[in-house]
Amino acid sequence: MHSRNSVSGLSKLDILLRGRTGESHLLLGNDAVARGALEGGVSVATTYPGTPSSEIADTIALMARDAGIYMEYSTNEMVALEVAAGASISGARAICSMKMVGLNVASDALMTLAYTGVRGGLVVISADDPDCFSSQNEQDNRYYSLLANVPCLEPSNPQEAKDMLLSALRLSEEFELPVMLRLVTRVSHTRKPVVFGPIEARSRNMKFSRDVKRFVMVPSNARSRHLVLLEKMDRVKKVAEESSLNAVLGEGALGIVTSGVSFNYCMEALNLLDLRASVLKLGFANPLPAGVITAFLKAHDPVIVVEELEPFLELHIRSIAQGADVHRRILGKLSDPSYLPRNGELSTKLVLTAICKVLGRPSPVDFQDIENRFRMAEALSPPRPPVLCSGCPHMASFHAIKVATGGKAVCATDIGCYALGAQPPLSVGDVMLCMGASASVSSGISKVVEEPVVGVVGDSTFFHASIPGLINAVYNKHKFVYIVLDNCTTAMTNFQPHPGTGVTGLGESSKQILIEDIAKGCGVDFVKVTDPYDLKYTISTIKEAVEYKGPAVVISRHKCAILESQERTAKGEETVPFEIDEEKCTECMACIKLLGCPALVVIQGNVSIDSILCAGCGVCAQVCPYTAIRKS
Amino acid sequence: MSTTNLIVAGVGGQGVILATEVLGNAAIKENFDVVISEIHGMAQRGGAVVSHVRIGHKVHSPTVVEGLADAILGFEPVEVLRYLHYASDRTRIVTGERCVIPPSVYMGVVEYPSIEQIVETYRRFTRHITLIDAFKLAEEAGCAMTQNIVLVGALAATRMLPLKDGTLKTCIQERVPRKYLEANLKAFDLGYAEASR
Repeated sequence: MHSRNSVSGLSKLDILLRGRTGESHLLLGNDAVARGALEGGVSVATTYPGTPSSEIADTIALMARDAGIYMEYSTNEMVALEVAAGASISGARAICSMKMVGLNVASDALMTLAYTGVRGGLVVISADDPDCFSSQNEQDNRYYSLLANVPCLEPSNPQEAKDMLLSALRLSEEFELPVMLRLVTRVSHTRKPVVFGPIEARSRNMKFSRDVKRFVMVPSNARSRHLVLLEKMDRVKKVAEESSLNAVLGEGALGIVTSGVSFNYCMEALNLLDLRASVLKLGFANPLPAGVITAFLKAHDPVIVVEELEPFLELHIRSIAQGADVHRRILGKLSDPSYLPRNGELSTKLVLTAICKVLGRPSPVDFQDIENRFRMAEALSPPRPPVLCSGCPHMASFHAIKVATGGKAVCATDIGCYALGAQPPLSVGDVMLCMGASASVSSGISKVVEEPVVGVVGDSTFFHASIPGLINAVYNKHKFVYIVLDNCTTAMTNFQPHPGTGVTGLGESSKQILIEDIAKGCGVDFVKVTDPYDLKYTISTIKEAVEYKGPAVVISRHKCAILESQERTAKGEETVPFEIDEEKCTECMACIKLLGCPALVVIQGNVSIDSILCAGCGVCAQVCPYTAIRKS
Repeated sequence: MSTTNLIVAGVGGQGVILATEVLGNAAIKENFDVVISEIHGMAQRGGAVVSHVRIGHKVHSPTVVEGLADAILGFEPVEVLRYLHYASDRTRIVTGERCVIPPSVYMGVVEYPSIEQIVETYRRFTRHITLIDAFKLAEEAGCAMTQNIVLVGALAATRMLPLKDGTLKTCIQERVPRKYLEANLKAFDLGYAEASR
């Protein structure tokens, strides 16, 4: 049974808003962070949605009205951080949450915000995605804290995620510095009991006071503010040395240094091995407590560094050891890349195997045997990748692109559900880089190849980062077709609103900004809107766009099939599915081979339409060469 | 008590996450520590969904160790196959037997194995296998969407969980929409009875 809202017990919202100090509730890591924002007296929360960070802001959006928090879905992460910065330098506590690649976009603001510093506590929450469960890379954002020279805390579970947000807010206010909170998928999307704390009153001292030398970063001011930053971070080092967020657990000659989610795997591995060891768990990823680390190194040999992704801790621990003239065996990814991988997630298995290797002990679990036996099961399992949903308007758009260009176009795609169109049978999408890149990448391709060039982008992604690329295309006279797959929502990350929807994160109505107006405003002369469910018109429009002499924008607009079906249900309307006319159907499989709609199934060799899954879009009826599909 | 390790595997839309929340809330009610780790984000798009549930006195890792699952709760036969490396000869498999065929099979790109082949492969790991037609029982309970609760009931019947049946039922009651409460409680009982036979 599925449920979002009306449940018999307490709703998530009730629990988060009204849960009392000392109560313990099973919470998703991101929901725990949202509760932390409430406990920490946060006044402003901004975001651009992205897995695995989205629920933080989505949950705050649910609470906002009752809690008196202002939240917004900003157009991109840099805008989000700038809005949070403005609120913070005016005295409000603010948080800005994003997925790790979002910080690439926001980094321009962060680097200089470290110089100006903040007034109300400001925490930048980066949710990293080791193993790329839902991302285009697996960058390790601890490095951003080093680059910007700002403190960074790293929780290992939902309770710590909430508690460390509070620590980060206090640290930020004490040193007037933005502070990073670095989460990963297995913290953000882990549920654990979380003990609630008291809700702090919000600051009343919210006003803007002018301080040009501090906040106007012209070179002369920036030079002196850089020195202020260096001095602040020197003082934060002393806090890190004494912080209980860095703790030693257990005793033994073997030392393990770890942080964040990796800590959990270390504890499980030691339990399984029934091994006595001493674990230094670092809550501060930056600055590292050099004194604590030196003392730990002196007391243990060897010392294994266990961390996910980059050898960030290891690199610094080696440098600390050299500085303190401590000679110990420090084992990690740098000393021997075969101990632990520099890619993907860690696991208890990987940490256990690494410890066994260091100690020359056999593994208590025969992983090799499991792997050998599993190979057959794996070979037998058909993959089940995510697919475009039944009735997805993108499916129709991709089919239209293929037909209109004779399948010859080179296509730059972008970040969103529609990236799934790159896989068979649609196979539209030859390159995908980062948010909004498809306009500019298409421009570059069009300078080199003879074939027609098509860029595709989603509506939310269009607002996020494509506009400078589109202006550039007009200005520098690039010739390609830019197709905006407008499904009127941010579908990939759970249907957040955006400027094209006319609704804000707080649920208020707002001016609806039309993509066609923006395209025209960018100087594009060919701008047409089509409904992809009308295949014939969409194909002819794209054909016309391909023939056009300059950059041409086609907005292929139809509301996300999931949203549309939810709206029908809410209105009490029924979805009328399509069905196969068995007399006319020749089992040519064109519908399945052209669209790959999940509602099209084959039962004992015969094509059939799953009446529960069918969204009633009728696109398959338009591609059937024998008019064998009709409304039931 | 040692930790109870569960893998819950299914297809996006089958209610894996709600089932694990019920298990997690029941664990808290009985004063256990619990950790649930789920991979979502793409789940709505018909992809494979897996959740790790660990119940004990002090649990750290959000994921189960390969070979150390006490039970695999499957919502779909192939989805259990995908996580068999978590099983050993003492693992209990409880799974719904209705197949959900991925679109790539209809396109002729890959093949979907027969249920006999699937169960034969399970047997290379463990003999403790409970197959039930959760979909049919859910319809019998009054709502096809309750097959996740049918399976929670079936798992409870195998006594793999350190949780009382009454606590599980209370948690179901607290978590599902009022309108479907009766169907869900019936689903639990039908799954329980089927797995007890």
